[in-house]
Amino acid sequence: MPVWLREHSWRQTLSAVYLSLPLRGARATPANIFCSERYLKVSIPPFLFEAILYAPIDDTNSTAKIGNGNIFFTLYKKEPAMWDSLTLANADKEKLQYLRENAVLKAHEKAKEETEAKKITKQEHKKYALEATMKLEEEERKRIEDLKEKERQKVAKELELWKNQQKDGDKYKSIQKKGKLHQETEPLKERKSEKMNKTRIPNEGTSKARLKSTKGCPVHGSSSIFSENLKEEQLPAPRAAATIKVNFTPRVFPTALRESRVAEEEEWLHKQAEARRIINSDLSELEDLKEEEKNPDWLKDKGNKMFAMGDYLGAVNAYNLAVRLNNKLPLLYLNRAACHLKLRNLHKAIEDSSKALELLTPPVPDNENARVKAHVRRGTAFCQLELYTEGLQDYEAALKIDPRNKNIEKDAEKIRHLIQGTMQSS
Amino acid sequence: MSAAVGAERPQVVSHVQQALSYTVFDCKWVPRSARVLCLGSAARGTGVIQLYELHGARLQLLREIEKPKPIKCGTFGATSLQQRYLATGDFDGNLNIWNLEAPELPVYSVKGHKEIINSIDGVGGLGIGEGAPEIVTGSRDGTVKVWDPRQNDTPVANMEPVQGESKRDCWTVAFGNAYNQEERVVCAGYDNGDIKLFDLKTMSLRWETNIKNGVCSVEFDRKDINMNKLVATSLEGKFHVFDMRTQHPTKGFASLSEKAQKSTIWQVRHLPQNRDVFMTSGGSGSLHLWKYEYPAQRSKKDSEGSEMGVAGSVSLLQNVTLSTQPISSLDWSPDKRGLCVCGAFDQTVRVLIVTKLNKI
Repeated sequence: MPVWLREHSWRQTLSAVYLSLPLRGARATPANIFCSERYLKVSIPPFLFEAILYAPIDDTNSTAKIGNGNIFFTLYKKEPAMWDSLTLANADKEKLQYLRENAVLKAHEKAKEETEAKKITKQEHKKYALEATMKLEEEERKRIEDLKEKERQKVAKELELWKNQQKDGDKYKSIQKKGKLHQETEPLKERKSEKMNKTRIPNEGTSKARLKSTKGCPVHGSSSIFSENLKEEQLPAPRAAATIKVNFTPRVFPTALRESRVAEEEEWLHKQAEARRIINSDLSELEDLKEEEKNPDWLKDKGNKMFAMGDYLGAVNAYNLAVRLNNKLPLLYLNRAACHLKLRNLHKAIEDSSKALELLTPPVPDNENARVKAHVRRGTAFCQLELYTEGLQDYEAALKIDPRNKNIEKDAEKIRHLIQGTMQSS
Repeated sequence: MSAAVGAERPQVVSHVQQALSYTVFDCKWVPRSARVLCLGSAARGTGVIQLYELHGARLQLLREIEKPKPIKCGTFGATSLQQRYLATGDFDGNLNIWNLEAPELPVYSVKGHKEIINSIDGVGGLGIGEGAPEIVTGSRDGTVKVWDPRQNDTPVANMEPVQGESKRDCWTVAFGNAYNQEERVVCAGYDNGDIKLFDLKTMSLRWETNIKNGVCSVEFDRKDINMNKLVATSLEGKFHVFDMRTQHPTKGFASLSEKAQKSTIWQVRHLPQNRDVFMTSGGSGSLHLWKYEYPAQRSKKDSEGSEMGVAGSVSLLQNVTLSTQPISSLDWSPDKRGLCVCGAFDQTVRVLIVTKLNKI
């Protein structure tokens, strides 16, 4: 059972009611006060005060002051009128109940409305803030754009000015060019006269002065002929022609070098080398050979070196071994053919060149060099066997591949003469 | 690396854009004028030379010349200021010098190379430097040839591969060290990453190196001084700056390398008014403006007592992307600081203005 607080005192004016409620030593906080239009309650457990007001009040504007063990209410009346009493006199329980519930509901609604209103104002504030920042940023951007635009215009103006200067300069020059033609004869005469007068000191001064004056007036006019002539005299003769031989960092691929592709390229080359070594390498006699001697490329290099040194038999041996390991490399047969030519094993030379040519199909620009060599070697072998027509055929095939080679042409001519000679004689 | 402060950084302002109906391979300023020359290849396989003049905010076409073979590169470097003849290299290996007033017949013509002339440079003209005017061409056939317009048919110097050696494409050439009448140097870059420096006075190879990526463009900071710096750009977005003042007997020239971007750096061009500022153009359509700073001491002694150079540092001043296609050619105007023209493979030529370069 709550303890009712009844020692309240009140007074009123036309528009307001002042209610003073002493608390018996209890501490009051705003949470303890509940007020709606017609109902006022202060609940500080165990104390309780409630009042059903005589007439509705404006509860939003009304205030409550807590202090000195006392709550002082200032309630503003909705309708200015003098109240008979603070509370409704004949209030029965049901009405009281109803009024209380009503008050509570109303209070709830009010609270809801308040939160709604708060939300709306918050949103509006946010929107406003956003718009303000957008405006600021827009202004900043515009400022920068304006600066840029100003720069651009300034620069464009300078450009125009400079261009006009150029134009004027050009016009000036063209006028002077015309003037030059007239003046050309005069300064030349003057130059001659100056040379003649060089020894005579008093005249030097005058002729110099005259020269100076002609040089002085149009800047690009006569002085330019002078400077041009002088310059031409001063220009050194064209350089003596010479050639500088250049060596390049070796690169297998025809494409440009890129760092990011180096790894891939290395891998590819490695695989190619592996593939060349593996063919035909399962012969039992090869077990006692050294590792490098099983590599056809190495053997080919060895053969080349021996050929260069003149050891043709050794070179043939190297190539033979290489062919046993890998009989698909045309270069081996090609080089062996050259050895046989030097050794005058002409039939073998022909065989090897033919084999090389077979392997050098399809005929593409890459193996042009090799094919030319093959044809030339076979042709030479035929000619040395006095089979000139076959030899000529090969030389002509070589010429077809490489029409610019003078040596092949010369040799082909020689063979033709030989054929004609033998035909005539027989 | 000190970066320029925000508001004081040079800005690249795009002044004019001109759409072309052909692929432009090279664009050059005509010296002492506001005219731009564009060289390229039309769709029907002929060469195009177009001369534009800058009028306010647009380029006005003054002249269009068609030639039988597509044109790859051109230079004004070897003519006098009065004549302003254009030397071009075309896809067929022909070197021609044209008088633009009378372009029907070339003033000089030679079939210099068996394959396309990739790059051309001229020295001794335009009132810059001393000595005979010469033109150097680098071609896909692996040779670099130096021509004198007064000598017909044969080059005055020929840098060719040793007999029997397989050739590499020469992608770029540049003149340098032309500070008096005798001295001259040609630098050539190849597709296998080789950079070779040929001395024309002694007719010998002075230095070579390999930068591990195909060399797209080389340029000395100035052609007409004692060689000071050389910038070489390559594939894979790298460029190297070599300090050319001190040559070590074995190590050659000191260098620094910088990776600017992922794509190829097609061109490097030094600002004519400031030799420590240069612009690189990239395969992603971007332009980067760089400044080189010298080190405290440009040379030092190594353990054996021989002099070796010290490379400095390079800082990025500005970076702008103009196009989606590579910008293949770039040229600064020698008359107006900051004015430059660039041509890209999206068939447009752009005139740009770089501001605040006088404050660097």
